[in-house]
Amino acid sequence: MGEKQVMRRADGGISLLLSIIVVFCILSVIVFSVARKLSTEMEASAIQNLSESLDLIESTIEAILNKDAEYQRLMAQEIAAVEEPEKYIQTYRDSQTMVRISLIRSGETEGISSTGESFTEVGLDFSAEGTVDGVAVSESYVNFMGTWAYTMKCPVEKDGKEIASLYIEYVYDSLDRSLPNGFYNKRAMLYIMDAQSERLVLKPKGMGERSAGHLNLEDFFRANDIMDEELRKEVYESVQNNKNIMFHHNIRGKKSLIYMWSVNDGTLYLIGYVPIDAIQQEGNTVNQNILIVVIVMLIAFFLCCVLYSFNQRQQNRLRKEREKEREIHNRQLAEALQAAQIASNSKTMFLSNMSHDIRTPMNAVIGFTTLLAKDANNPDKVREYTKKIMASGQHLLSLINDILDVSKIESGKVVLSVEEFTLNDLVSSVDAIIRPMATARQQKFHVEVRNVVHEYLMGDETRINQILINLLSNAVKYTQESGNIWFRIIGQKQRSPQYERIQIEVQDDGYGMTPEYLKVIFDAFTRAENSTTNKVQGTGLGMAITKNIVELMGGTIDVSSEVNKGTLFRVDLDLRIPEGYTCQQFWENSEISRILTVVEEQTVCESIQMLMKESGVVTDIVPNAEKAIQRLQQTNTEKEQYQLLLADWNIVGTEGILKIKELRKLLSDAAMLLFLVDYGAEDMEEALLLKNTGVLFKPFLISAFQEKILEMKSAQNNRQIESTDVGSLEGLYFLAAEDNEINAEILREILSIEGADCEIVENGQLAVECFESSELGKFDAILMDVQMPVMNGYDATRAIRALTRSDAKTVPIIAMTANAFAEDEKEALDAGMNVHLAKPIDMEMLKKVIIQYIVKGSRNERKD
Amino acid sequence: MKEKIKRWAALCIVGILVMMIPACGGNKSNNNLITFEKKDKRVVTLFSPMEKTKPDADNIARSASEKTVIIAEEKLGLTVDYITYTAEDYQDKTYDDVALDRARNDMDDLYLLNPDTIQILAAEGKLMDLSGLDSAKNLRDVVKAANIVNGKLVAIPQEVVAYGLFINKDMFDQYKLELPETPEDFLECCRVFKENGVETPIGANRWWLETFVLAQAYADLYNGGNTEAEIAALNSGEKKYSEYLRPGFEFLQELIDKGYIDAEKASMNEAIEGEGEDFLAQKTPIVMAYWSAANSETAYGKTDFNMLVIGFPSSRGQMPVMPMTGIAVGVNAKHAEDAMETLNIMTSDEALQVYAETNKVISPSRNVEVECVPALKPLSDRINENVFVLGSNASMKVEQWGNICIIVRKLLSGATVDECMAEFDKLQEESLKQ
Repeated sequence: MGEKQVMRRADGGISLLLSIIVVFCILSVIVFSVARKLSTEMEASAIQNLSESLDLIESTIEAILNKDAEYQRLMAQEIAAVEEPEKYIQTYRDSQTMVRISLIRSGETEGISSTGESFTEVGLDFSAEGTVDGVAVSESYVNFMGTWAYTMKCPVEKDGKEIASLYIEYVYDSLDRSLPNGFYNKRAMLYIMDAQSERLVLKPKGMGERSAGHLNLEDFFRANDIMDEELRKEVYESVQNNKNIMFHHNIRGKKSLIYMWSVNDGTLYLIGYVPIDAIQQEGNTVNQNILIVVIVMLIAFFLCCVLYSFNQRQQNRLRKEREKEREIHNRQLAEALQAAQIASNSKTMFLSNMSHDIRTPMNAVIGFTTLLAKDANNPDKVREYTKKIMASGQHLLSLINDILDVSKIESGKVVLSVEEFTLNDLVSSVDAIIRPMATARQQKFHVEVRNVVHEYLMGDETRINQILINLLSNAVKYTQESGNIWFRIIGQKQRSPQYERIQIEVQDDGYGMTPEYLKVIFDAFTRAENSTTNKVQGTGLGMAITKNIVELMGGTIDVSSEVNKGTLFRVDLDLRIPEGYTCQQFWENSEISRILTVVEEQTVCESIQMLMKESGVVTDIVPNAEKAIQRLQQTNTEKEQYQLLLADWNIVGTEGILKIKELRKLLSDAAMLLFLVDYGAEDMEEALLLKNTGVLFKPFLISAFQEKILEMKSAQNNRQIESTDVGSLEGLYFLAAEDNEINAEILREILSIEGADCEIVENGQLAVECFESSELGKFDAILMDVQMPVMNGYDATRAIRALTRSDAKTVPIIAMTANAFAEDEKEALDAGMNVHLAKPIDMEMLKKVIIQYIVKGSRNERKD
Repeated sequence: MKEKIKRWAALCIVGILVMMIPACGGNKSNNNLITFEKKDKRVVTLFSPMEKTKPDADNIARSASEKTVIIAEEKLGLTVDYITYTAEDYQDKTYDDVALDRARNDMDDLYLLNPDTIQILAAEGKLMDLSGLDSAKNLRDVVKAANIVNGKLVAIPQEVVAYGLFINKDMFDQYKLELPETPEDFLECCRVFKENGVETPIGANRWWLETFVLAQAYADLYNGGNTEAEIAALNSGEKKYSEYLRPGFEFLQELIDKGYIDAEKASMNEAIEGEGEDFLAQKTPIVMAYWSAANSETAYGKTDFNMLVIGFPSSRGQMPVMPMTGIAVGVNAKHAEDAMETLNIMTSDEALQVYAETNKVISPSRNVEVECVPALKPLSDRINENVFVLGSNASMKVEQWGNICIIVRKLLSGATVDECMAEFDKLQEESLKQ
């Protein structure tokens, strides 16, 4: 199809070109023929004009000659009448035209001239028998004045008898005065030639060889390069036959017209030449103008062609662009359709999975509830059933949470809550969750932190936690029992001094994934295997959520995996380093300036050195207890003494407890001894009995280290932390705003189990009124649902906080809501609530929160 | 690209409009009356010779002279009309004859005259005294002296005309001949050429054979340091011209007798026109001509052989002969005042500089110096050494240039040397009577 189009376009181009050429040819022919016709007509007109000019000159010369002849005849008549003709002649001495008048009486050979000199006919040639009006005229000659002249001879008759001959000599110079002073703007040359002698007797007087004239006809021919014998012959014949002729000839490269015009029946000839461009001046102008018009037309024509071609090209380009765009759109549409179909399929599958996944625990809940009703009297079975109902409920809850998370992320409503946190907290919380899971599956869980320079960082700890839990729980799930899980936080080279770049690695040696699955692992609603055939439960949303959160944080996530070999996830994150943070103050306050570290493992050494770099504390590291002992023994002055000894518990395994005891002895009493231990370390009892000794779990983190030091310092100061009974809500009375009766009932029941009670209102408005009308201190706290009719929980909280009662500002208000997102929590806190708990209510969590906000508060009040 | 095309299109349209705009304008006057103003034309006529023209040829001598005429025309706002004459053949009146007739009948204002006609017309009082012209003050003394007749400066030349022998150096080299210094050397060269098949070693015309005579006759007179006394002796009749001229005539006779010169041809040949063809065709190794012929392409300016111009053989070595042509003003010239002004400008230093540069000739003005072409170097060197013979001298009572020319023609026609000498004696006697 493309080729056909190209061919069609080429055909179109060729026909356009042919049309242009045809138009051009027709135009050229027309212009040429018009120009040619004009030129021919103008040339004919110019030749006509020239011949008329020559006719006029001829007539003028003939008129002069005739007048002269007529005058001579009259003179002859007068001479015949006078008695002394010789005396009469002498009266004409000074005439400019008739330069000499002579008379020879009949029968004599010598006469007299007007100059007084004797005169003979010798030198005068009348043989050509030329006449002017019947008067004989001689051949031209150079006369006594040095100029060309001719003589006319007229008989003097008296009584019918010739008595003498009158000779009058005329100079051609006199004719010159009657001729035009150059014609055709002096570009035409004009000579008078004596036809008999072919001498040029009157010449132009212009400057230069050509302008000043030639000698004779031969010289004229030679000078003008008229060498064609045939032409010359024709010219000579024409002259002999008394014809007027013109012919074209190139004179010095210029096209000219040579003319030979007979005067006085051919006794004289006007000869000369004129360049064609001189007689056709207007012709040149016309031709030039035609040329200009043609050029202009051609320019316009080509301009049109160029514009047309340009326009065509532009159209073609636009068409191509549109076609390309359409193709892209079609492709995009096809892709979108495919994606939509895939999404639809995925969602269908997801719904199918969900249906299954929700029905399964739901089935368990309903089934066990039925069994519970049946076996209500058997406490053991009741406990077993409730336990299973609880597990099913928990699973259902996690399913719902994931679905909500995905929906939130996809709709772009997730806002990161960036706050300061420590890697220690992160690692601890993750460890606390994952380690039990791994332990339950007899898996080894390895935690490693290395090359991290800054431990205090800014970020959304909850979301990072979520990422880690997702990855690690997957690792636990998809690793066989007795397998290994590695969790590493590795510091990377910083791109900017304000950001710590960390890489989180989650690795396992579990089942691994197929390459096909790896391609879709981060897509929503996908699972490694269909849940109907998989023992592992999951929503298939975890990885999609993880990827979205990582990208939301500006990070990247990669995965590599091999079936039956394991999987490695790598998450790269840039986390801002909080400004103004310095840990030096802590060490100064703790009066610790020197620490001795006994660590054998190189990576641990490096980690400690790196983390302690900015602390300002001298951190000496020795590889074993022996070296440590030596070092301690060398410390003589107080200044050199170590305030803390950090010892890897592994050296106890290799070097024995005795070395540790020796070390302890070498330390001052105030100096602390901390063991850096792995989780699950055993046989530490004896060591911990040593004075001022504590345990720090690996990995080594500054914050954990500092916390431990603080803890031990407190112990040193014998400050017993008051133990708090957090296990009971006995005697507490709450105001609960809950519109759902079942939830209200559950709440009441849970509280009653804990020995507490509550007053339940159905909406926020009632809660405000109830609290306002209650006695001071009646309610220990307000448990506030958020979504309620009449007035929601946020407004109710604001209204309560706005009351003028003394406890309005201080009464703890706990949000208990199904709105479980971070934004909801933020809004709750903004409204004036003290804490946010997501439904379903976790009793332990509720108790903890209540104790934190109510019991401690009342304790403080009591202290006050 | 689009912008570029638009810009070009706009430019083309503007160009077309500009071309068309004049058509919209009108040059018509308000009424239908067209008037022409009559112009007063100041004219000066100049009588001068004209060579027979060749197609597509530029005559360098004329163009040099014309350049000075143009200067005069521009400065004075007048027109110089050329009246020319050229004899068709030897039977026609000569240029000099016609010049005499025209000057005597006051036909023209300015005349370009040969030395003999200058002397004749000056003697008849037909020429104006030019000594008052500014340009006359710049003339070299020798030029001035040659053109003063009866105390009047009657003509001013535009170039110092020096005649010499134009020789085909290649042919001389071919026969291992030295350049001739003396008449004997010259005869020897001719002999060798003749013996080697050169039919006529010397190409001659009816005008310039006299230069041989003049060179031999007056070599000692002009270069012996006693010039004025010797001329005075001649003018007083104390010494005879024939005594001076005889050796030259005898020399010519010998050349004719030995067939080195074709007397018949020479008596009919016009200058250059006749003998030039054979010289250029390398049939004749020697011709005689004037300085400018070495520069002019219509003469010997472009040869296929190595040409040199040397002086004529004489007892004092190679001798240039310098007759003084000049431009004169008719005493009754119709436009005498304009003619005098025209001549003043044509012979001014400015004009003569242009003339000399164009023709590469020796300028009559002492203020103008121009390098000559290499071929003229030998002749130029002799002139610069002040070794030369004047072809005409107004201080001699018997006119030389014209008379010797005419009498040489008689020799060519068969007259004996004695008859020719008798002619000179007769002329001297007539001059003594005046």
